[in-house]
Amino acid sequence: MNVIFVAPLIVSGIAAVLAALISILDMIVNNYGIVKIVINKGKKELEVKGGGNLLQLLAGNDIFLPSACGGRGSCGACKCVVKTDIGPLLPTETPYMTKDEIDVNTRLSCQIKVKKDIEIEIPDVLFNVKQLEGVVEKISDITHDIKELYISIGEETIEFEAGMYVQLVVPPYGKIKGETQRAYSMSSPPSDKNHVEILVRLVPGGIATTWVHTELKEGDKVKVIGPFGDFHRMETDATMICIAGGSGMAPFKSIFKDMYERKINNREVWYFFGARTGKDMFFLDELRELEKKWDKFHFVPALSEPEESDNWSGETGLITAVLHKYLKDKISSDTDREGYLCGGPGMIAACKSVLTDNGIPLEKIYFDNFA
Amino acid sequence: MKMTPAFKKAQGNMAPGVITAGGFLGDDKRDIKDIITEDEERMEYFSLDYETVCDKLEYLLEKGGKGLGEFTTVDDTWLVRTLEARGHLPCPFEDGIHRKITCEAVNLKNNRKILFSTISIHLLREHHFHEGKGSEFRLDPESLKKVLEI
Repeated sequence: MNVIFVAPLIVSGIAAVLAALISILDMIVNNYGIVKIVINKGKKELEVKGGGNLLQLLAGNDIFLPSACGGRGSCGACKCVVKTDIGPLLPTETPYMTKDEIDVNTRLSCQIKVKKDIEIEIPDVLFNVKQLEGVVEKISDITHDIKELYISIGEETIEFEAGMYVQLVVPPYGKIKGETQRAYSMSSPPSDKNHVEILVRLVPGGIATTWVHTELKEGDKVKVIGPFGDFHRMETDATMICIAGGSGMAPFKSIFKDMYERKINNREVWYFFGARTGKDMFFLDELRELEKKWDKFHFVPALSEPEESDNWSGETGLITAVLHKYLKDKISSDTDREGYLCGGPGMIAACKSVLTDNGIPLEKIYFDNFA
Repeated sequence: MKMTPAFKKAQGNMAPGVITAGGFLGDDKRDIKDIITEDEERMEYFSLDYETVCDKLEYLLEKGGKGLGEFTTVDDTWLVRTLEARGHLPCPFEDGIHRKITCEAVNLKNNRKILFSTISIHLLREHHFHEGKGSEFRLDPESLKKVLEI
């Protein structure tokens, strides 16, 4: 009888001792103590508890590297140059690296653990990136699958160039257990320093877009991190050839509004915007109104598959075909031209090839490929 | 089919938050071997073979790309939209990485819809894994039959 009770107690006791031993060993072996992160040759130095991943350790000290996946190692955005030897590139990093990046020891900050003092280099501009706590002031249905979020950041301010983006922090919801982040171009002009406006198109299966379209309400608190990105208007007199579709409208809305507000109206601007049918087209009235007020601004909307009910009298066909026609026949090649693109990689590639075929060199084509 | 250590690892990788925030299993609590076995039987029931289905999915994904991010009509039969996001996703079976390209295909005759990605095609072709029930990217054999018309 005693054996029946004592045996399980002995086994449980041994298991508990082993568990405690493992725990103590873990604390000893994996205790890296306080380690130092030196950024940009000492412009900033952080003292952090070792063992965490670099992306999180930096974020914990208000230094935010771009990350479109929130640190899951699936976007390849959170790159930085590591000047200290921290071991070889991991298999999870190699797909995202070019040869030049490998040569200077570029690493994905979400994949590397900081176990000793390290020195890193990041673009100085990232020191200006902030995490902003905001409140959704307004949600507008722009089309059947695009919503516009107008987020107030209260007394906080955001300084950015038109064309840049923020990362929207998506909290856990439904089956989504962890926090994640997604990048969205700002559609508000830089003059509106207390707000962040973004366009969010519903992507089936998309974690952030589903959250925005089904969970988020006016008055809800949200977090955004930014500004990020180097997509912006070049300070030249060249004719701007701008091309977008869907939520790729966002950075251009910001750029045009900024140019109009600051009276930068001396250069020709052509804006090509593609949608499939009338129900996918938006901001037509606003952009046509802008066209009336700004004689060098030309808006060319096009529908690829217009329906009869659309009563569409504008351009039809894929935006690349319309662009090609205008570059051949309507847009002067006597002055310099620059291409500005916002859309997915497929759209960017197709537009780049139309632009280069029409004499615009690759180095004068600027793009933001995660609308 | 047995739940080998590799299958157990893959099942762990399919949980929400490991590779994708939503995971690959939906509400399905079964072992992936059971999911695969049942779906293989249903593919046979609907007279579908994996190569033909995967070739058709690849065809739609490629044709959808011509819409440059917008829906486009393919062969007067499907309305297709292909979207690409930045980055790659590793296969939960740990045999490669795939670009994040998703495709939505609607059969215009019966309005049935499927949602799939480059990794879905790989999972189907190489592992006969259709994703768990309740997963947004599940490729149910009956839906494949009705949408793809094969």
